[in-house]
Amino acid sequence: MKAFSATVAALLLLAGTGCRKSGEGAPDASKEDSAGLESRVARLNEALAKADSGEARGKPVARWLLPPELAEVSGLALTPDGRLFAHNDESARITELDYRRGTVIKKFFVGKEALRGDFEGLAYARDRFYLLSSDGTLYEFREGAEGERVEFTAHDTHLGRECEFEGVAFDSTDNSLVLACKNVAEKKFKDMLVLYRYTLGDSGGAKLSEVTVPLAEVIGRNPWKHFRPTDITMDPYSGNYVLVAAQEKGLLALTPAGAVVFSRPLSGRHPQAEGIAITRDSILIIGDESIAAPGTITLYHWH
Amino acid sequence: MGFFRRLIDFLTLGSDRPVRRLVAYYLVLAAVVGALMYFFPVVDHVIGSAQLDQAVSGSQVLRDGLQPETIRGFDTDLSPRLELALSTLIILLGILALMLPVSWVYMSTRYSKGHNQQVAQTLIFLPLVVAGIVLVVQNSLALAFSLAGVVAAVRFRTTLRDARDVVFIFLAIAVGFAAGVQTLIVAAIVSLVFNFVLILTWRYDFGRSVLEPTAASQWSEQLNDLAERRGGGKVPDRDLVLAIDQKQALALAERFDRVRKILGPSGKKPRFNAILSVTTETLSEAQAKVAEALDEVAGRWRLDEVVTNVGKPSEIFYLVRIRKSTSKDELLTAVRAKAGDTITNTDVQLAESTKEKEDEDAKS
Repeated sequence: MKAFSATVAALLLLAGTGCRKSGEGAPDASKEDSAGLESRVARLNEALAKADSGEARGKPVARWLLPPELAEVSGLALTPDGRLFAHNDESARITELDYRRGTVIKKFFVGKEALRGDFEGLAYARDRFYLLSSDGTLYEFREGAEGERVEFTAHDTHLGRECEFEGVAFDSTDNSLVLACKNVAEKKFKDMLVLYRYTLGDSGGAKLSEVTVPLAEVIGRNPWKHFRPTDITMDPYSGNYVLVAAQEKGLLALTPAGAVVFSRPLSGRHPQAEGIAITRDSILIIGDESIAAPGTITLYHWH
Repeated sequence: MGFFRRLIDFLTLGSDRPVRRLVAYYLVLAAVVGALMYFFPVVDHVIGSAQLDQAVSGSQVLRDGLQPETIRGFDTDLSPRLELALSTLIILLGILALMLPVSWVYMSTRYSKGHNQQVAQTLIFLPLVVAGIVLVVQNSLALAFSLAGVVAAVRFRTTLRDARDVVFIFLAIAVGFAAGVQTLIVAAIVSLVFNFVLILTWRYDFGRSVLEPTAASQWSEQLNDLAERRGGGKVPDRDLVLAIDQKQALALAERFDRVRKILGPSGKKPRFNAILSVTTETLSEAQAKVAEALDEVAGRWRLDEVVTNVGKPSEIFYLVRIRKSTSKDELLTAVRAKAGDTITNTDVQLAESTKEKEDEDAKS
């Protein structure tokens, strides 16, 4: 019996060590030394200042390892007051992240029952969230409190056959959601990058239009064969659309009219860049999903 | 494997006690896993930290991915495919490490005669397959349905002799499942507790009917004397003697009686000094021819047992008294000469004293 007790104790100790180590990734923020979090902010500001001055340009200023429910982080969205939200690829669980301190603020769920699907993008427009699935369905819902399940309204864009959607952003200048196509089925759009504008009407109605850009212009001098965007966001300074592509590991900026501003490879390590957001305080945030390791968000100085 | 065995021998001071060896194995395993967890965070992930993290709700502090102290091993530098391959490999190796002691316990703690080798091997293979399936299916409902369809097309009908074999198979499935959902820590605890509980119930013969007296309660004085370490070394394992019940003791006594009658009274020259085994597909014909050969070359012989097998040759066993002037090879040659066309194989096992004599003759 002594031997048995000794082994159980040893294993529990081992499990305890594992808990503590994994707990590094998920302790209660209230227990965390607030000075530690503030030092993160200070470190981030210092790194941003360096990047701004040209020193360490293109290098990440911060990278946070996301909790397991965001291992397949798929879309990022910023609210007008600068809060960052992320969602998972398969379940409609929305997580608010503090990208400066590297903390999870809250999580809430879409639908009274667990809503599952192939969710690819998230946008915030006029006090509502819009979650986009790959078949072109938009789920509209309000922001929920911690752990809350919120009701949603589904809008079918009827574009599921034409396009496999991968990202959504809100263009406040013309009050529309911009939907990015990863793969297009329409023959007329062969060798084109296609974006759809889904204008939000005041009465709930919507109007569709499209923006097409020749792939040759998108690719430019980059060694890419294609450009399959995985997310889209708005540049708050220029009003341009900024797209990221996981497969090509590329970044593309377009004017709302569809002119290419730049296309370039992503700097840093990005195993599968699935989300993009640009904050009003000049931070580019790239979300990467991963299969075995944790998902990440990586922060860069923007411009 | 040799190094591992030597390490366990060293830790257990060469003890043969299964509990000590099991404890030593788990301690070594815990140390190895602890080191791997420290250097390679992906190991920590598949062992179960993912589940632990999921349990935490509300405000969380995220790990800093740029701080050098948090970047260890492969975690941040491998491509997703390589990470997946690595984590799968770790899971499968983890299963092997956890199921090996289970198979040892299975082989060591059989109540009935012998163990089923197929079950022992299945205990190693089954969880590997189960974990593979779970890894493939993961959260996909479509894949789960497909799997159900595929499995429905394959029918398994295997009757296991012992109800405990079924429990072992269930354990193998549980370990496979736990590993497949990346909670190797659960698999480790389940297999560890299972092993120790099983060894302890076996050791103390748990579940024996209290109405059935033990052998010790019936013949305590004689058995204690027999089990005494200084009692002439007749039965050195005291625990074994005291653990048997009355029925088992009677069955043993009956068997000893039978053997004594065959071999002759102790202290006298044994009636037989070799066992001749013959394998044949034509039983009666072979028996007749072997009998002729034995009449010619053996001093004394008798048919001991005939084992008939379905789908493979039958076996015949003879107790033989080989003459001093006849060697083992001469006996075999004579049998083959007479019955060679009816037998597929033959062999002779000599009693220790006869063997020693033959060795001395060969040297001289």
